Amino acid sequence: MITFEGVTKRFGDGTVAVDNLNLQVPTGAVTVFVGPSGCGKTTSLRMINRMIDPTEGRILLDGEDIRKIDPPALRRGIGYVIQAAGLFPHRKIVDNVATVPYLLGWDKKKARARAMELMERVGLDTKLAERYPFQLSGGQQQRVGVARALAADPPVLLMDEPFSAVDPVVRTSLQDELLRLQAELQKTIVFVTHDIDEAIKLGDTVAVMRVGGRLAQIDDPPTLLAEPADDFVEGFLGKDRGIRRLSFVPAGGLAVRSEQGIPGWSVVLDDDRRPLGWRAEGGRPSEGNGYDSPAKEGDPLEGPVLNGTRPERPPAGEARTRAAAAGLQPFGTVDLNKDSLRAALDAALLAPSGCAIAVDGEGRFTGIVTREALDAALARATGPADG
Amino acid sequence: MNWLFDFFGDAANWSGSGGIPVRVLEHVEFSVIALLFAMLIAIPLGLLIGHTGRGAVVVVVAANAARALPTLGLVVLIVLLVGVGTTWPVLVPLVALAVPPILVNTYEGIRGVDDDLRDAAYGMGLRGRQVLLRVLVPVALPLILLGLRIAAIQVVATATVAAYVGLGGLGRFIIDGLATKDFPSTIGGAVLVAALALVVQLGFALLQRLVVSPGVSGRAQAR
Repeated sequence: MITFEGVTKRFGDGTVAVDNLNLQVPTGAVTVFVGPSGCGKTTSLRMINRMIDPTEGRILLDGEDIRKIDPPALRRGIGYVIQAAGLFPHRKIVDNVATVPYLLGWDKKKARARAMELMERVGLDTKLAERYPFQLSGGQQQRVGVARALAADPPVLLMDEPFSAVDPVVRTSLQDELLRLQAELQKTIVFVTHDIDEAIKLGDTVAVMRVGGRLAQIDDPPTLLAEPADDFVEGFLGKDRGIRRLSFVPAGGLAVRSEQGIPGWSVVLDDDRRPLGWRAEGGRPSEGNGYDSPAKEGDPLEGPVLNGTRPERPPAGEARTRAAAAGLQPFGTVDLNKDSLRAALDAALLAPSGCAIAVDGEGRFTGIVTREALDAALARATGPADG
Repeated sequence: MNWLFDFFGDAANWSGSGGIPVRVLEHVEFSVIALLFAMLIAIPLGLLIGHTGRGAVVVVVAANAARALPTLGLVVLIVLLVGVGTTWPVLVPLVALAVPPILVNTYEGIRGVDDDLRDAAYGMGLRGRQVLLRVLVPVALPLILLGLRIAAIQVVATATVAAYVGLGGLGRFIIDGLATKDFPSTIGGAVLVAALALVVQLGFALLQRLVVSPGVSGRAQAR
């Protein structure tokens, strides 16, 4: 547990970076500091490992005032990841990862073994161990940065906009990786970002800060989205708050029809019972030759493996072209065991039938989620609490 | 060309206390001692100023003084102060010549290290001295070596002034040659100085390969 008690930081020129901050960072969870530039989020983070000392107030780490701890000793017990990765260019990757173990006096063999283990953990090919930082991509460097921060197994991890310098695809994969790691390691993580979506995705708790270094609101993401404390927080959360909130409502409660169709539409499956598309019933011809069973023998139409993480993706490439040529309409799938109500709604909106196709973990058809079912679930989700 | 043959072909030039091998050794000796003194002064100072950010004005003053310093005048001054018979009249000006490039490049090298890198190093829990020696110096090494190389070449070229005050070194061939209108000797001496400077250049290129991390020089195979 990290506790901020009336923490204020005034810089020499009179700027107040952080103004009377009081908050608690719970152990084993991700707390995100988010806000516009100049809101003091990075300063707050850097006060935890004493890269900056507060002007007033104190910070407690598991009840101990950190000002009583020698900064280098304190920092060796706290992982630190920064935006630029900050790898040591003159050292090989493995030695970069082993930085803190070396500082703690581990013998070289043990430190390197630990570094290799960490590289695997964060999804880095251990063949990269003997490379130098400049030989790695930005995303790989950032992974090395995370591995280095974890090397001595510190209970606390500070991450200062670690993913904001990489492209969106890599960023998403790094975020997913962090969530996966966190599920395994359960570190106390303080994460700074200016990206509210990242904050909502990663945070167990999100602290929204405003310019001038004041805390605007601290809550878990669903509460934040549902009940922003004031206009600033509401504005910062941006549009689509309602839709985004659905990300936190599991799709599990949705009613599913097990039939393979609804009036006017049927779902076409491949041999493996994976959905291929919707077909309009009642002879509505579509562009294509209108032949009836695209999944008949000898026609190797393949449905992609759609697990709910990307329900919005219709059959890819060639399969999609063939599905279209066969007169099939696009569809979306949702895995009720894993996905959110938002994913279900999205899947329904992708299909001209207006229904989402429910699938199991393997992407096999389990039923249809109708608009009525979605409607009922939405009513429950947005209705009065405990509904 | 003939003069070169006259000079290098003359067996007398290759032996005795005034021969080429002895003069080269004397020249190298002055140069190495002067360079070592300069390093002892300039490197710690440059590291300190670069690391703490305090005293940068010293670097600026040193850099400007270097341009204005009349080496020959300094030689004469030291002779007047301590008299002939010691090597001080040649060492002091050479050290004065070598300090500025080493100091400036060491300082700039350390200052120029990326702030993020410094931040990460402190954030990992390195102490000030560890940050300097384990991170800043290895990263700044190419610039530090550049300063040393510039200084070394200047020193080798300028060590000829030793001859003015009757000390040895390759300057003797040049200056004595001029005085006695022995042009083969003058030209030969100049060629030897130039060759020595080339050797220094080469030596530093080799040193650079040995001590600079491939990760810094970019020499590791990029892939």
